[in-house]
Amino acid sequence: MQQAMETVALWTGRLARLALWAAGIGLVLMTILIAAQVFWRYVLNDSIVWTEPASVMIMGWFIFLGAAVGIREGYHLSFDVVLYVLPHRAKMVLFSLSDIAVGGFGVGMIWFGWQLAAKTAGNKLPGLGISGAFDFAPIVAGGILIVLFSAERVFRRAAGLPTARFGDDGEAA
Amino acid sequence: MELYVLFGTFVVLLLMGTPVAFCLGISSFATIAYLGLPPVVVFQRLNSGVSVFALMAIPFFIFAGDLMVRGDIARRLVGLAGAFVGHFRGGLGQVNVLSSVMFGGVSGSAAADASAVGGLMVPQMKERGYDVDYAVNITVVSSIIALLLPPSHNMIIYSIAAGGRISIADLFTAGIIPGFLLALMLMVAAWAVAARKGYPVQKFQGLRMIGTLFVSAAPGLILVAIIFGGVRSGVFTASESSNIAVVYALLVTFFVYRSLSWHDFVEATFAAVRTTAMVLMVIGCAASFGWLLAYLRVPAAMVTMLQGVSDNPIVILLLLNLVLLILGTFMDMSPLIVITTPIFLPVATAFGVDPVHFGVILILNLGIGLCTPPVGAVLFVGCAVGRIPIWDAVRTIWPFYGAAFVTLMLVTYIPALSLWLPSLFR
Repeated sequence: MQQAMETVALWTGRLARLALWAAGIGLVLMTILIAAQVFWRYVLNDSIVWTEPASVMIMGWFIFLGAAVGIREGYHLSFDVVLYVLPHRAKMVLFSLSDIAVGGFGVGMIWFGWQLAAKTAGNKLPGLGISGAFDFAPIVAGGILIVLFSAERVFRRAAGLPTARFGDDGEAA
Repeated sequence: MELYVLFGTFVVLLLMGTPVAFCLGISSFATIAYLGLPPVVVFQRLNSGVSVFALMAIPFFIFAGDLMVRGDIARRLVGLAGAFVGHFRGGLGQVNVLSSVMFGGVSGSAAADASAVGGLMVPQMKERGYDVDYAVNITVVSSIIALLLPPSHNMIIYSIAAGGRISIADLFTAGIIPGFLLALMLMVAAWAVAARKGYPVQKFQGLRMIGTLFVSAAPGLILVAIIFGGVRSGVFTASESSNIAVVYALLVTFFVYRSLSWHDFVEATFAAVRTTAMVLMVIGCAASFGWLLAYLRVPAAMVTMLQGVSDNPIVILLLLNLVLLILGTFMDMSPLIVITTPIFLPVATAFGVDPVHFGVILILNLGIGLCTPPVGAVLFVGCAVGRIPIWDAVRTIWPFYGAAFVTLMLVTYIPALSLWLPSLFR
């Protein structure tokens, strides 16, 4: 079981790395798009209509991908001080319950995100001219990764392997 | 009953160690399901909650701050601060405070400030015979200044949590005097502690040196002018000026200082992605939480309840401050802003407090919470930088907490400290 989970971790690690790179490229792309918008508007006295909706959509991608990677790496804000006083076993059970709840929310992101996408698929997004379904692609993709990474945490814990704790990271403010 | 479902689920999940963003999302989902409303609303609001152009200022300001930390801008500002106040009593402590003023003016993030200024100052202070706990204490508490001075992305979070009706330019302007006041109070505290402990004084480096260091730090200082001038004059939106901050920080660190390597750039980008994804996920999930609070008339009930307690705004403000301070000791700033603003802002306005003024109180108050155990992100950063246990820092931090608390009270009860400067621009 431990060995199998190590192999899984290798692949989910690569997936998380990929998602993080995608999110990082998204942030850089957003920077370029808005910089271009500012340059066109204030220097060339012309406006580009698609940069704003496009960068807002990219922001959706990087938030949901970044939030999913945060589940794996444990950099979300949380409050687990009370858990310190509990015995190890109880703590592990609660951590797993918490991961299952987060995974459940991920399922909701997929299921309802998909419903919303299906409902808006016929619309055209103003400024971009693509299907309205694209608006909900990030939430579905983020949901898939959240489910995957939450499941990994539960199985790793069951196999007696360590998982990243939430709240270890201090870059909160 | 619906309220028990909402807050009960939230608290239980929170105590289980679930990330705050998901506590908000899941408890909203449970409540909406309990009310028999379509649960799709939660995800619709999550998606629309993060698809707001005004939010973009948050990733950009955080990104710019990360670039400046890694790209030498922080070090030069600290050098300049040293030339200005290094010869005062408790010299390096004073330098630490002034560095937070200058660096806070370009980054607006307390954790970035604590790690950047602390990383530079704490080793220096150790070397010159200052106690480590003193160095850490002043690093930690002075980073609250960064939250008050523009560009503070927490003020943008507040503006959005308040429904986007409060002008970001006004909030930025309103924080300036309280920020300087806090700096002054901390410098007095640093002076008093240093005098008692007999810390060394440095020699004045001379006006020439100030001039040289000023030129070296000027690109960082110009950024403050660009950001503040742009937002204040209304030429740029906050999102646009935050973008300019990123581009400018890149240009300065890549081409002028040549201090940012490709590796630094990638690391800064990832750091910004991690911080922003976390903060914006909280904001997105809070969208349905806030909607439920309004739907269940929680703010109105809160106003009525507090009006029963007292009709005196002084008492109510004290009460709000105490509640926020207590919440701040064990929760982080951005979730608290998005959770408490929809509940407390209506209370404050019902008692005649200006929303801009309340924003400054809220940010300063929750900023103190970042420096207090058991959960205080900035305290953790400071102790990690100084490599001391949290207990060691907290034992001697009281004069600085005191200075921050006195500032909080002054800012709370003298509205002009916050509102006078913005009124000049109207």
